[in-house]
Formats: sequence, structure tokens, C-alpha cells
Amino acid sequence: MSGQLAMPPLHAPQPLTEAQSGLWYAQALDPANPIFNTGHYLDLRGPLDAGAFRAAVNGMVAEADALALRIEAGRHGPLQSVEEARRPWLEVVDLAGEADPEAAALVAMTRDMETPVDPARQRLAREVLFRLGPRRHIWYQRAHHLALDAFATDLTLRRVAELYAARCGQGQPGRTLPSFSLALAEDAAYRGGTRRAADAAFWRDAFADGPESVGMVPGTAVSARRAHRCAVALPESVGKALARLGPPWPDVLAALAGAYARRHTGGEEAVVGVALMGRLGSPAARVPCTLMNVVPVRLQPDEQLPLAEMLRATTQPLAEARRHGRYRGEQLRRDLGRVAAGRRLFGPLVNLLPFGGLPAFRGLDVTQHVLGTGPVDDITFTFRATPSGAGLRLEVEANPDLYSGAAARAHALRLAQFIAAALEAPCLAAVPTATPAEADWLLHGLNATSHPVPDTTIWALIAARMRETPHATALAFGEAAMTYAELEARSAALAGVLRAQGAGPGRIVAVALERSFALMVGLVAVLRTGAAYLPLDPGHPPERIARILADARPVVLLAKAALAGGTPVLPPAGWPRQGAAPAGGPADDRADGPADGPPDGPSPDDTAYVLYTSGSTGAPKGVVVAHRAILNRLEWMRRHYGFTPADRILQKTPITFDVSVWELFLPLIAGATLVLAPPGAHRDPVALAAILRRQRITTAHFVPSMLAAFLAEPATRGLRLARVFCSGEALTPELRDRFHATCTAELHNLYGPTEAAVDVSFWPAAADDASRPVPIGFPVWNTQLYVLDEALRPVPPGVTGHLFIGGVQLAREYLGRPDLTARAFLQSPFRPGERIYRTGDHAQVREDGAILFLGRSDQQVKIRGLRIELGEIEAALAGSRMVRQARVIAREDRAGDRRLVAYVVPGDGFDATALRAHVAARVPDYMVPAAFVALAALPVNSSGKLDRAALPAPGHAASHSRPAETEAERRMASLFAEMLGLERVGAEDDFFALGGHSLLAVELMLRVREAWGWDPGLGALFEHPTAARLAALMEDRGEADHGLGPLVRLCQGDAALPPLFLVHPAGGISWCYGRLARALAPRRAVHGLQAPALQEGATLPDSLEALAADYVDRILAVAPHDTVHLGGWSVGGIIAQAMAVRLRALGRRVGVVAMLDSYPTDVWRAEAEPDAHAPLRALLAIGGFDPDRLPEPVPLEPQAVADFLRRSDSPLGRLPPQVLSGVARVVRGNNRLVRAHRHARYGGEILHFRAALDHAGRGLHPDLWKPYAAAVKVADIPALHAAMTGAAAVARIAPVLSAHLLARDTEGQE
Amino acid sequence: MLTRESLRADIAAIIHADPGEIGGEDDLIDLGLDSLRAMNLLVRWSGSGLRLDFGEFAERLTLDAWWAIVDRQQQQQAG
Repeated sequence: MSGQLAMPPLHAPQPLTEAQSGLWYAQALDPANPIFNTGHYLDLRGPLDAGAFRAAVNGMVAEADALALRIEAGRHGPLQSVEEARRPWLEVVDLAGEADPEAAALVAMTRDMETPVDPARQRLAREVLFRLGPRRHIWYQRAHHLALDAFATDLTLRRVAELYAARCGQGQPGRTLPSFSLALAEDAAYRGGTRRAADAAFWRDAFADGPESVGMVPGTAVSARRAHRCAVALPESVGKALARLGPPWPDVLAALAGAYARRHTGGEEAVVGVALMGRLGSPAARVPCTLMNVVPVRLQPDEQLPLAEMLRATTQPLAEARRHGRYRGEQLRRDLGRVAAGRRLFGPLVNLLPFGGLPAFRGLDVTQHVLGTGPVDDITFTFRATPSGAGLRLEVEANPDLYSGAAARAHALRLAQFIAAALEAPCLAAVPTATPAEADWLLHGLNATSHPVPDTTIWALIAARMRETPHATALAFGEAAMTYAELEARSAALAGVLRAQGAGPGRIVAVALERSFALMVGLVAVLRTGAAYLPLDPGHPPERIARILADARPVVLLAKAALAGGTPVLPPAGWPRQGAAPAGGPADDRADGPADGPPDGPSPDDTAYVLYTSGSTGAPKGVVVAHRAILNRLEWMRRHYGFTPADRILQKTPITFDVSVWELFLPLIAGATLVLAPPGAHRDPVALAAILRRQRITTAHFVPSMLAAFLAEPATRGLRLARVFCSGEALTPELRDRFHATCTAELHNLYGPTEAAVDVSFWPAAADDASRPVPIGFPVWNTQLYVLDEALRPVPPGVTGHLFIGGVQLAREYLGRPDLTARAFLQSPFRPGERIYRTGDHAQVREDGAILFLGRSDQQVKIRGLRIELGEIEAALAGSRMVRQARVIAREDRAGDRRLVAYVVPGDGFDATALRAHVAARVPDYMVPAAFVALAALPVNSSGKLDRAALPAPGHAASHSRPAETEAERRMASLFAEMLGLERVGAEDDFFALGGHSLLAVELMLRVREAWGWDPGLGALFEHPTAARLAALMEDRGEADHGLGPLVRLCQGDAALPPLFLVHPAGGISWCYGRLARALAPRRAVHGLQAPALQEGATLPDSLEALAADYVDRILAVAPHDTVHLGGWSVGGIIAQAMAVRLRALGRRVGVVAMLDSYPTDVWRAEAEPDAHAPLRALLAIGGFDPDRLPEPVPLEPQAVADFLRRSDSPLGRLPPQVLSGVARVVRGNNRLVRAHRHARYGGEILHFRAALDHAGRGLHPDLWKPYAAAVKVADIPALHAAMTGAAAVARIAPVLSAHLLARDTEGQE
Repeated sequence: MLTRESLRADIAAIIHADPGEIGGEDDLIDLGLDSLRAMNLLVRWSGSGLRLDFGEFAERLTLDAWWAIVDRQQQQQAG
């Protein structure tokens, strides 16, 4: 074996192994990150033979070459060699004299672990023996992950134990640890062998149809600088149960961990990362080095099967993964194209370490303490035990960027419980996800809402107010008012008539009246008879009304005129104004008046109202709500928010919507004033604002869609009230914030279905509330909220489940529909004898117990197996000034093609392409809507909620311009439409404005080339982005334009505005400015200046001034305006300043001189010469990548860079190879010019966008320009230098730049 | 006491093969052995106090190689 491998010499530079490569690049990208240090210490108690110990450690160190590696960047990638000076011979530190030797040791070790290591300049490992006392030592081992993985650390540990024992006369020293060159040889052999190709093919097939992998929490899985670590011991019973099962315990635990993960992600499969030692069958099995590999395994454990059977199915993918486990996971990630940030290969990482169990050190009591095990990208579950499974421990490590410490600890406990329960349960389906302690908190702790409520009815409370304050104003309508006494009298009179018609407890009276005093008199009258009221909207379709009336069979209808259905009608015109003396009537009539003692009428269990709701499918259902239920809701509200008789509450919600119930009756039970809005006013924001002010309203309600429209009206600015309540739809954080920026009032978010007496939960959405999303909060009095899984068990915080409601507010039933009632109202599993209501909503419990509403199932869509909450995309849209209101839905206009479409009511400077960029900067790319449709207003239905059916399909709305006319135009337009997924594209529609991006551009141009038979070059589309113009170009066959010409148009716009000229950065190409150009508002012409040296045969000018002068000539040739604006990124800014000086000298007007993080040439003169990498780095930067933060390691040599760009679908990848040499030429040339240049002073202002996250400690500051400009204005952009033309930075730069451009358009500068 | 044949039988059992199918020089990975099952075997064979090192076993996965290690360790333990 080893005899056949070529063993490279270690003291000469060697390439890294595949395992090391990924780690090296990761450390190089983040040099200050110490997370790559692995370390642990052994606490040795007892008599230690120090001399023997030192010999043993040093004996191991002499063998373990990797500990002495030096790794640094070479011309073609990193190289390593063993440097004897770096061998970590044992250091002995005597702390016995310290006050607290153990603490001192811990401090020293922690400090060492937290010190980042530069593999080029510093040694990778240390071995330290801390002497704490004569019988206590701590042996600390630290090694960078480039040197050792966990198995290797164990190898070194065992070797030391072996050598120590031998030194102490106990046994033979055993085999030496093989040389590191064996590991190099084996790695080279695998890379050059046939097995690798076979492994690659296996993995590609295994994941060809795989869904996107997701983690248990949203967020990007990139390791932070530390990790949360916690551990639990699994109970003895677990070890025993594992031993009883057939498969090896690591397989069992991997499967159970997969099932656990799936419980949290909610998908159909879980993809876990399985860490493999990588040593089985390898000649390098005993080499201390890093070989560990993580491969993804798709698990679909069948929870219905008994465990043993379930495991049979999961064992297979695990076995296959191991068989092909030599293939690097990082390489697989590249193969599958999941390199972009935010995409991953697997969810949690499962690490199975069956080699726990410390070796014995004679005469010593030894315990081990792990300090760090390397990067933690998301969450890692490590199971540690001896090979037999005894002493099983679960260690959880979690990325603090994704999990709080409490969440990490919760996972440790929860997974441990889950495993223990799973091993005893008949099948997994019987195992809850939450621990018993969590379940208790979720079911009972959070729901301890018991509160006394008077055992009475709405009518009784209203009657009491009528007695107490008869002359107070009960109702206001326009200028008119009605006192409690009048309301009492008129309702008593009407009640008498109603009773004569048969109204009473157990009967229903239908009410179909507009807002008016009559409405209130009618409602109160109905209540006082003991009957329930049934509100109707006369504007609804007659058959619907007829059906409802036939269903409910009310005894009488209060309405202006009869409705379909034949119920006898009592129009207000015919109502008596005062009570007739009863003609020997029953005693209760007299007792009905407030002067005669307690009024008769309803009892608490009688129905107060019956409200018909439209189901999402099928016929309307009548929800029956008793007094007891609605009273709980009203009394809670009155007391919780402190309503008093001084309050004035606006009634504007149609009475068919249950929100109206509290608007109507809360004022009356509080002795306050109910102000009725005129009919129709609830839809008119201006009228509403006027009413709120004129009527001195203290409290009002809005559905969020309506609130958004309301706030958009300037008339609402500065409104003051006491409280605004929102319910009926999700309240977005943006709307909350906008509310507090516009009005002064408390804002409260309430939630509840009609089936639970209006609202069951509340959340104070205060001005300082930063919650995202805004919770629906906590349950009201005597109410329980449960977030349950399919088996009606509570789900842990952070997991999505079904929302159920319990408590006194539940409706009694759906009128006449026992079948629907039984389906929706279940026996409570938690409170015997009570019921719970299934809302059909999805929810989550936050760590602090507040409930988050996640929408109905249709708010949640799946695209490519990924679960998407539309609310998240809507939130991203709402955050842009370009958007006043936005909703996102998933449409399937073409069968099988599901797409996200955003509907937007535009705000300032709306531009679909810029908005797309804004969204793309905030959500993963699979969540960026395929189309953005601008609408004048979002259509709403009669309850004020979004009317989805009325939203137009995107094809029709998107295209505004004339249809294609010529044959060529038609062909081109149809290609555009096909690429963009639209039905129709107008001849003058801009490809990019319709949602096209660079990837589609490349595809489009390929098709164009095919169709017309010649290649105009990608640049042609940038120059001629409409079907009409591109068609014309293709017909009029011209020169291929690869987009490398000296002047390239990046964007068209308002021809009346002075153009902006942006000068190329280091590589000479200006494509990087495309996004910024299109993000400016208003649009204007933007041109990119490109280095003439890109073209072969061009000569470079002698000086930067000459270059600037040449550029100035070019722009003057195309700029008819007096004023021109200039800008540039990096070296482009330097050139722009020189151009500005030149333009001034020529007497031309210069507007804005904008710099993206450029610094004067003085700075560059002091820098070292750039190396051969600089042009390639420049090329990566143009391609849109930060060369220091590539998603994968890319060797900096031309072919590798070109391959990387091609793989990443960058349009640069398709350029011919002469471009690379052109860029190299430009970089070298520019570098020379910059160093030689001395700036002249520019007599105007420089607008400097500073990359605020960069240049730490390098003394680069915009002030450096002060000697060379009259003024320097700085805008800090929270970005790195390399990201200044990226989406996030552009989103911030564009508005500032746009504003300055506008300001300077006409002024110029003097 | 472990013998070459008892090793062969244990290996065969854990990979569901016939002992006759396992030749001394056959690559056990090709026959379906993985590290977890190898670990399992190690544990079983360590039962009588035999000190067996996974790293050594991992280097070469053949019956002959493994027997050599076990044989050596048994002799050391006895002697």
C-alpha cells in the first residue's frame, strides 16, 4: 500500500490536501477568526512523572509532523511544508504559586484559543503542561484544524498515553504514528484515481432531484467567531436500548437526529450532514492530520413504522454515503451549484464519535474538557461514546448568529429527550417534539389567564349604565346625539314590539340597517328581549341573503325594506318611540324598565349574535356566540385598556364583520360615547381623518390594508388619538413603524377568528417595539392559545404548528351544522370537559412566549420544495420608499409553473428593476418575485381584506409600449417574452425593466445568435435593451460588440438630464456599474468609460493626465449638455478627479464628482507592488465577487478563475480569452500611471461614498482628498470596498447620488 | 480465544454474507463493510480485554491484516 504511493518530502513546499484546502481558504477569508483552533485539556490528578510525561509528549510531537506545518499562499495556491522550528515541544508552566492556579490555567487556555492563528506566520499547535500543584496538572493541546481533526487529536492523545506508560515501565511503546507525507500521498492518489470520478457520479445522482436543504432556523450558515457549546449525558437506558437494536448505534442516532431536524423544518425529508472520519481503508488511517469530511445524507424516516423497521430504510442511505465518503463535501457543494451565500448542502451536522473513553494514565485520574472543535456553521449534534455505546453524551454546538445560547441548550435537552423517548416508543409518530417541561410551559404556563368576569350579559351591563348616567351621551351621529336615557326609552319601546313578534331567548332577529341611530336602537332592543341579532348587508347578493334567512329563520327583520326570503320586516319608520302600556301583559314587561329592578332578557348562556362568515369553500356558516363569550372579550378590553365614560369610540366597521361587535357595545358597557361614522365613510381616508379630528375620537379600529391606505393620505399626518386597534390581517413591522411616524396613538395588534368572539390575543405594537414579525401576542382573559402539531401536541418555540384556541370565548356552534361544528370544535386534550377550536392558521411561539401568526395555508407556498412565507417578501417590499403598499402571491398561470408575483402600489421613484434589486438584497433568490406589477390600489373586498381574485396576471400589466410591428421585431419580442416568462412584450419595453438579469441576458443572446445567425456580442443587449432596437441591430448586421468598447451605455433615461459618466475600476471594464445606473431615480443616461487598453493593439498613454484627457475627449463627443457628472469606483475615482480638473480647464461645467471608496494616489505610491494576482482579483471583482470572500476556494490562476466565473454563471465567463489578457494589461498599465500621478486641485466638491466596513487600521479616509478638492462630502455606506457596486450598497448609494445629481443638474458648480 | 475462522464468521455475519465468500486478501469494503460495522466488530473482539486500535484496523481492511493484528495482541496479552 504505502509502498506504492509516492511520498513527497515534507521540508519542501507541497500542495494542500483537499481536506485542508477548504479550511485554509476559510481562514484566509477571515484572518481574525479564531474558530479554527481546536483544543482541549486533560485534568490529571495524582502523581505525574513529569519527566516521563514530557518525553512522551515530545515523542508524539516528533512523530506528528502536521503539528509543525507552515502554510502560506503560493503563486498557484497555498503550499505547506514542515518547519522544525515550529514543532510544539511541550511547554511546562508552573502555576502552583498563583492564588487560583486552575483559574489561571483556564484564563491562559481561553486566551490562547481565542487568538487567531495565521498559518503562514505562526505555529499551528501548542502543547502545554500547567502544573497546578504536586498532584494536579492540566495538559493543554491546541491545534489549528488544518493540522488535526477530532480523530487525529485522539490519536495523539493515545500515543502520548502509550509512550508515558512505556516510560513508566508499563508495556511496549507500540507503533509509531506514520509520517504526514503518507497523508499527502494518499490524497494525491485519490485525486488522480478512478474512484474519485465514480464517487462524484454517485453524489450527483443522489442529489439530482434533491430539494433545497434548509436549516432549522432561517439564516446563512457561515461560522461566527465563537460557538455556543453545551452538553447533556444521555440516560443509561438509552445506551441499553441502543445495544438491543440491530444497527450500530451511530446509524440509529443519525436517523433520529434527522427525524428531529425534520420536526423543526417541516419538510418531507431532512438532509443532515454526516461527519466521516475518512480513515477506513486508508493507508493514512493513523496519520495525525485532518481528514474529516462532511457529506449530506437524505433521510426520510417513516414515523409510522416501528423503530427497527424504520431504521432499515435509513441505514441504506447512510451506508451508501459512507461508501462514497471520500469525496469532499465542499466539492460536492460546488458540483451541485449551491455555492451562493444562503444556500446550503445540509441542515444540522451530525457527528458520531465512537472513540470516546480516555486512555488510562497510570496512577492518574483523568477527565477531558473540550474547548473548541472548529467552525460551527449552523448547529452540530455530536454524540460521543465508547465503541460499545456506553457513557453516551450529546454535545451541541451552535452558531450564535443563528441561535441564542438558550436555544442551543433547549436543543440539547430536547434532542436528548426525543432520542430517549423514540427508543421506547412504538413508533416515532408517538413521540412529541417538545420536552415535558416545555409542554407544560406551553400548555399551562403561557395560558394562565384565569380572571374573574361577572356572570352576566351585555344587556345587563348596558342597562346598568343607563341607570347610572341617563343623561350622558350614548351615541353621536353627525351633529346629532342621543343620551342613554333616550336610547333606553326607544329600545324599550321597540323591544315590546319585537316580543310581540316572538323575539326572546333562543330566537333570532335579523338586522340589516345602515349606520344610524336606528341601527343602535334596533340592536339594543333585540338584546333586551333576550334574542340574538343576525347582521346582514343588504348589498350582498339576494340569493346569499335568502339562503342565510332560510337557514337562521329569524322571527323578524329590522330593515328599511323587505329582503329576499320572506322574513317579516319592521322598518324604522314604523317603530314606536316610547313604550306602550302593557295590556295586562306579563310581569316581565314592567320589570323590563330600568326603574323596576333587574331587567329580564337574556341569561349569560343565551346567544348574543349570530354572524355569518364566508368559508373559503362552500356556503356561509352562521357562528353562534353567547353572551358569556362576548362579555369576556368586552370586559377584558374595557379593563385592560382602561376605557372610561370619557372615551369616544368610532363605529365604522360594517356590522357583518365581527370587529364591529366591540365598536358597537364596548362604549355602551363603559358608559362612553359611540360615534357612528356616516355610511360609506370607512372607505374614504380623507373623510375618516376629518371625522377622527372633528369628533375627537379616542379609539378606532383599522384592518391593516386600510390602515396603510389611510396613512398614505397626507391628511392623516399628525393625528392624535388614545388608541388604534388593528385586527383582521397581519400587521407588518413597516406599517407599525409608519404608523408611529405619522400619528400619535397607542397601536394594538389583536387577533381572533369570528368563532372565538372577535379577538383572543393582543400585542402592544408600541413605537419602540422592534419585533419582526409583529406578534399576535398573548391570550386574553380566560383564553388559551395552543400551537400544536398534527397529533395535537404543543410544538417547541420556533417551530411552526397549527393554532388552536380554548376558553370561554369559543362560539357554541355553526348554526344548524353539527358536521362543521364537530370538525372545527374538538374536545380539549388539555382541559377535560372543555373544547378547543381549530383556526386553520399557522403559528409559532417565540422564545418569550408571544405567539407569531404565520398566515393561512395559502400564505405559505412551496417552490422547489422550499417553504416560503409570503409575508417575508412583503416585508422586504414594504421597507422600500418605492413602495406604498405591497402584497405577494404565488400564481400558477401556466400549469406547473408556480411563480411569485408582487403587486405594488408605487411610492416615490418607483422602478421595477430597482425594486427587484432592493428585494434581492433582502431575501434569498428563490424568494424574489418573478414579476412586479404596479397598481393604482390593491383591490379589497367588502371586509377590507385583499381581494386576490381581482389581482391581474402579470403578463398583461407589465407591458406598456406598442406591439411589435415588423417581422424582426415580432421575433425578437417573442424571444424576450419567452425568456422573461411573460405573455406579451411591447416593442419598446426595456428587457431589464421587465425583470431581466444578467443570466437571462446571456441566454437571450444565445437564442438571438441562433435565430439571426451571427453574434452581436453580449454588449449589444446593454446598448439596445428593447426588442425594437435589438431587432433593428440584428437586421442591420454590424460589428460584434463584446461590451469592451471605450464607451458603453449602461442605462438610458431622461434625455433632458445631464448624463453621468462612470470610469472603470482596476480591470478597465465598467459593467459593474449597471445596477447602480439603473437604480438612479429619475433615470438618466449613464455611460461607462472603459480602458482602451482592453483592445489588443492599443497603446497606453504616458500619464494619468493624458488618460484623463483622452477620456474627456470621448465624453465631450457624446455629451451635448453643458453639465456632465462624473464618478468612479476605486481607481475610477482617481481618474474622475483628474477628468474634472481637465473639464474645468476647458471651461466646461462639472456637476457631481462621485467616488466609490477611492483614495488619492499618494496612498498607492506607498503600497507594495501588486503581484500577478491583481488582474485576476480585478476580474473577479468585475464579475461581482469579492475576491477576498469567494464562496469557494479559487486558485488565482487564469484558467481556474475563468472556470469559476463560468460556473457561477457570470456573463464574464463567456467572454473570449483575449479579455483576460486585456484586463491584465490594463491593470499593470493603470498601476504604473497611478503611482506616477500627482493630483492637481479640483475647484469643486467631491461626493465620497466611503466603504465604512473596510480599511480598518489602514489610515484611509476621505479627508485625504482635502488638498485636492474644494470640498469633500462623505456618505458612509456599510459595505466592504469590494461590495460597493453590489445590490445592498447600491440600494443605499443610489438615492443619495440621485439627489445630488438632481441638485447639480442646473446649478453646475462655480 | 479468537481464531482466524471466528473472525471470518463474525465478519460474514455482520455483512450478511457467507463465510466462504470472504477470502483472506479480499477488500472488505468492497464486500460491504463500513466503519460503523468495523467498529462493531472491534468492540466484540475487544470483549476479552484485548487492546485493539481502530487506526490500525482502518489501515488495511482484509481478513488477513486483521487476523495479524488480533493474533499479535492475543499473544502479547498471553505472554
